[in-house]
This record gives sequence, structure tokens and C-alpha cells, in this order.
Amino acid sequence: MTTGQDDPLRKLIDCIFVSHQDEAMDCESCGCQLECFAEKVSAGANLHDLWPDVEAHLACCPDCAEEFQALLCILRAERSGQLDTSAGR
Amino acid sequence: MTDRTNEQWLVDLTGSPEAQSPALEDLRERLQRGIFYYLSRERSDLTHLPAVELTRMAEDLAQDATLRVMDNLGSFRGDSRFTTWATKIAVRVAISDLRRARYKDFSLENMTAEGDLLPASAASITGSPEPGPEATTERADVMLKIQRALDEDLTERQRQALVAMALQGVPLEILAERMGTNRNALYKLIHDARRKLRAHLESEGLSTHYMLNLFEDR
Repeated sequence: MTTGQDDPLRKLIDCIFVSHQDEAMDCESCGCQLECFAEKVSAGANLHDLWPDVEAHLACCPDCAEEFQALLCILRAERSGQLDTSAGR
Repeated sequence: MTDRTNEQWLVDLTGSPEAQSPALEDLRERLQRGIFYYLSRERSDLTHLPAVELTRMAEDLAQDATLRVMDNLGSFRGDSRFTTWATKIAVRVAISDLRRARYKDFSLENMTAEGDLLPASAASITGSPEPGPEATTERADVMLKIQRALDEDLTERQRQALVAMALQGVPLEILAERMGTNRNALYKLIHDARRKLRAHLESEGLSTHYMLNLFEDR
């Protein structure tokens, strides 16, 4: 059975019910610390254990989530030496 | 490429031309490699582009990002490595550029011109088995409640923003520009809309579990 992740109604239901507490983080607070979170996660820290409020925000905010994942992938590539062989120079 | 401490990066980037010039070149090159890696490995929407085009994009974006880093040096707090902070800025420059290119023709007017916010395709979850008559009626009832909640509980701006983000996948950054606000304010507007809708639907006995079962299991 499919979960229909791309279905419009499923997206709307997820959007309505994936909601966090009022006091939780907004984009501004998340954005100004994004490098700290990404650096620690790339070194093996668990976002869910250390910063559940950040994890909750990323689940609700596709823009911040996209930027976090992009930064994380670059940091991981850097740690594994893959950036040194990147052709982008 | 020289490996610098945070302090050395700041000293060199703000120092004499003899120190600044190689530091700027090291920073730009580092950002370019990171951006190229992201464009070439993580962006499925760019796989059709040849490496030479991706390299050109990475060069341009790294140039812009380096200037942005220099403009914002004063806001680096030292909570991470300097290069991680600079890469965050580069990621934003690159993703913003890609978002703007992708949604350059998007307008709120076109989005809401059709009337009902929930499209006809929302009547079932794509790929699910065909529902029986009883389930079809139940789904139609739920659809009606969702549409009513959208119409009654949300302001026009909340409705526009929520539908554009949730149904059309429009980035908040693009929406905020079109709506004449900023991303943070828009996030809060949508967050408030979500809470209102959730409260409304739960008061009618519609939980996430119930709705997903309704649209998937029959």
C-alpha cells in the first residue's frame, strides 16, 4: 500500500497535524544557529536528543530543512574528504 | 590552501591587502567546492546540466557568497568553525538563487483564481486502492470539513500561504517576497493557521490517524 507522500491532501493533512508548541523555535532563531547544529550533527550528534525544538522546527519549515540538509551534506563531504576531490574549482 | 583558525581567518580577511587577498581566494575556492558538491550530488533537478555548466554556476554563486560573507563578518560569533558559518551563508545564496529561478513566474493571483483551494485530485490519496461507496461518502464528508475549516477559520492571507506552501510546495522565501512580508513573519502566520485548523478538525473528531486511515486503507 502506498503512503501517497506526494498527494495534495496528504501534504495538507501532514501540514496541519505536524505542528509544534507555540514557544518553539522560529526561522530566525533556527537560522542564526544553523551552522552550530549542522556542525555537531555532521560530527555524529543526534538532533532529536540534543535539540528537539530544532528538529520540530525543521519538520514544519521546508525552507530551513532544505538549508540544513544542504549544509549538512557539504560538511559530511568535507569530513570524509570528498570535497578535496570535487571538480568545482 | 592554508588551514586557518577562526581568529586567523578574521585577522587575514580584515588585514592588509597582502594578507587579505590570499585569504579571500582561499575562502572563495572553499565555498565554490562546497557549492559544486551540493549542486552536482544533491540536486536531482540539476542532473540534466553538464559539469561545465554546474562549475560555472558554482563559480558565480561562490563569488556572491564571498561578498556576502565579507559584508557580514561582524555577525560571526565564533560558535562554530568560521568556514562552517561561511558555508551556511553560501548555501543560502545558492538555494535562494535556485528558488528564484524555479519560481520566477509564480504569482499568488494565478494560484487562487480557480476558486476552491482543495483541488479535485485531493479526493483520494494518489495510488491508494479504489474506495468502496461507504468510504467514498466518508471521504467526501471529511473533504468538506477541511474545506470549511480553511474557509471559516483562516484569514485570506493565511489560506493563501498555507495552500501555496503545503499543496504547491512554494518555498516560504518566495511566498514572503510575493506577499510583501519576511520569511519569519510568514512562518508564524502559517504556524498560527495550522494550530487553528488542527483545533477545528480535532473538535470534529478528525485526528491525523483517522484521516490517513480513511484515505489510505479502504
